[in-house]
Amino acid sequence: MDAVVLEIGFALVLIASVGLIAERFRFSVIPFYIIVGMLMGPHVPHMGILDFRFLESYEFIEFMGRLGVLFLLFYLGLEFSVSRLLKSGKSIVAGGAFYVGLNFVSGLLLGWMLGFPLKETMVVCGIMTSSSTAIVAKVLVDLKRTANPETEIIMGMIMFDDLFIAIHMSFLSGLVLSGATSVGAIAKTSVFALGFILLFIAAGRRFMKYIDKSLDIKSSELFLLTVAALLFVTAGLSETVHVAEAIGALLIGLVLADSVHGKRIEHMIVPFRDFFGAMFFFSFGLSIDPMSLGGAVGAAFIGVLLTIAANFISGRIAGRIAGVSPKASTNIGFTLVSRGEFSIIMASIGKAGGLLPVLQSFAVVYVLLLAVLGPLLTKESKNIYMFFKFIGDRFRRVPQEKN
Amino acid sequence: MQVKETDLPGIGRKFILETKEKGRVIVIVHDNGTREMYVPDPKDPDERLSVGTFTDDEARKLAGIIGGMAYKPKALENIDIEIDDLVIEWHRIDPASSWIGKTIGELKVRQLTGVSVIAVVEKEKKNIVPGPDYKFVSDSVLVVAGERQHIKLFKELLAAK
Repeated sequence: MDAVVLEIGFALVLIASVGLIAERFRFSVIPFYIIVGMLMGPHVPHMGILDFRFLESYEFIEFMGRLGVLFLLFYLGLEFSVSRLLKSGKSIVAGGAFYVGLNFVSGLLLGWMLGFPLKETMVVCGIMTSSSTAIVAKVLVDLKRTANPETEIIMGMIMFDDLFIAIHMSFLSGLVLSGATSVGAIAKTSVFALGFILLFIAAGRRFMKYIDKSLDIKSSELFLLTVAALLFVTAGLSETVHVAEAIGALLIGLVLADSVHGKRIEHMIVPFRDFFGAMFFFSFGLSIDPMSLGGAVGAAFIGVLLTIAANFISGRIAGRIAGVSPKASTNIGFTLVSRGEFSIIMASIGKAGGLLPVLQSFAVVYVLLLAVLGPLLTKESKNIYMFFKFIGDRFRRVPQEKN
Repeated sequence: MQVKETDLPGIGRKFILETKEKGRVIVIVHDNGTREMYVPDPKDPDERLSVGTFTDDEARKLAGIIGGMAYKPKALENIDIEIDDLVIEWHRIDPASSWIGKTIGELKVRQLTGVSVIAVVEKEKKNIVPGPDYKFVSDSVLVVAGERQHIKLFKELLAAK
């Protein structure tokens, strides 16, 4: 028990150090948190006080990671707004549907190629269809592309993808976590979960007046405590009615997003999301034996290729629907390639449900590759487009010369 | 000038300004308070050139300068700027003014004239949006906003003995 604080201190030193390194080289921090967690663990030799096995603190780190998922999804809910999505227009909804559809199909394809059972395949679909909102937004800001015409489309499609993440997570938690085996029982839990979600959102809208009023708290300390109470009670209650606690966190986020206090809550919650989120990625890494990764490398490579292809095609389609140039459309697909936090959350659902452990290894390698490749592809999308255009033009010119 | 606004979920809000001389300026207001300004790249219609990135503080200063509000009158008794029908003027309270020692509430500035006092710059300190309890002191500059006819009433009230 004595060593717990020190061990968590060590964990934070590791997390902060790799974070600084990643920032330095302008990489996404998420895969770095996972890798450093993976490199630590019971297999690491220890010397006296320098103990990086995290034996005593593992439970605490894991619990903080669990809170991290709550905060990540609470924030996702706060950022999301149904009215905003509806306002964004037909072209974004159509483009987003193509994007989600193609990526989902590529997940099905990979699951089938690997001979995965249904539940595992569904988790793979989730991993492969969840773009990383955090990485995409950061890359666009870093590359100074926020004012580009296609950026509106990209962020709109990401919001559509967030909607998919919410629905797919509730479906997965019904499928994987409820322990139901028959088709009927699975359908029952899924329908129940969906009903609970809709009822919750409807109730939130109905009582918004009272929510607004009761959150009209001047003291930022009491405001924080009230919001935290709402978050934890909703998440905990959801768990008792067999809806994943993460979905509960997402729901209360969705409801509070429409409150007049939405922005204030968002600002307040960011440090919690960052702190506990980092703990989540670290603890996810800790739970993985690096030796097990080898078996997943091949699958992850195929997954990465499928994702890049699916994104390229759906980006071109979405761009064409929205009426931007082919070059800007190439940007759309490649920018959305980055995978990160939500893919890992999807994999952690598989872990919680006791599915094949290869899923976690797959998710790690896949996210690692795409969190690094995504920003690179985004940066070079113009050159890639020029390259393809060059080749395309040569092919087209040859028959013309013969005429 | 036309201003088009669009949401950039996860980033912030985008404003496209079409200026009179067919120019276009794009301003991104990030959720974290950062502002960015872009203009189209004349060589490539798909690209945007960054003009600058500003912190919240810097952006406010810049807005003040562009809006003409940061310009501090020195010798002049009043300067005005006009935005649509709204006029903003600077007025000095001279040492003989009857206003000295009275509060905004007592003088019923807004009730009588319709003009709002948005700031009072004293020698040592600045009062942004002073309340009705604010007491006027000698040698300070008032920044007031209102419509043209209200400002006229305000001038009469200020000059009254």
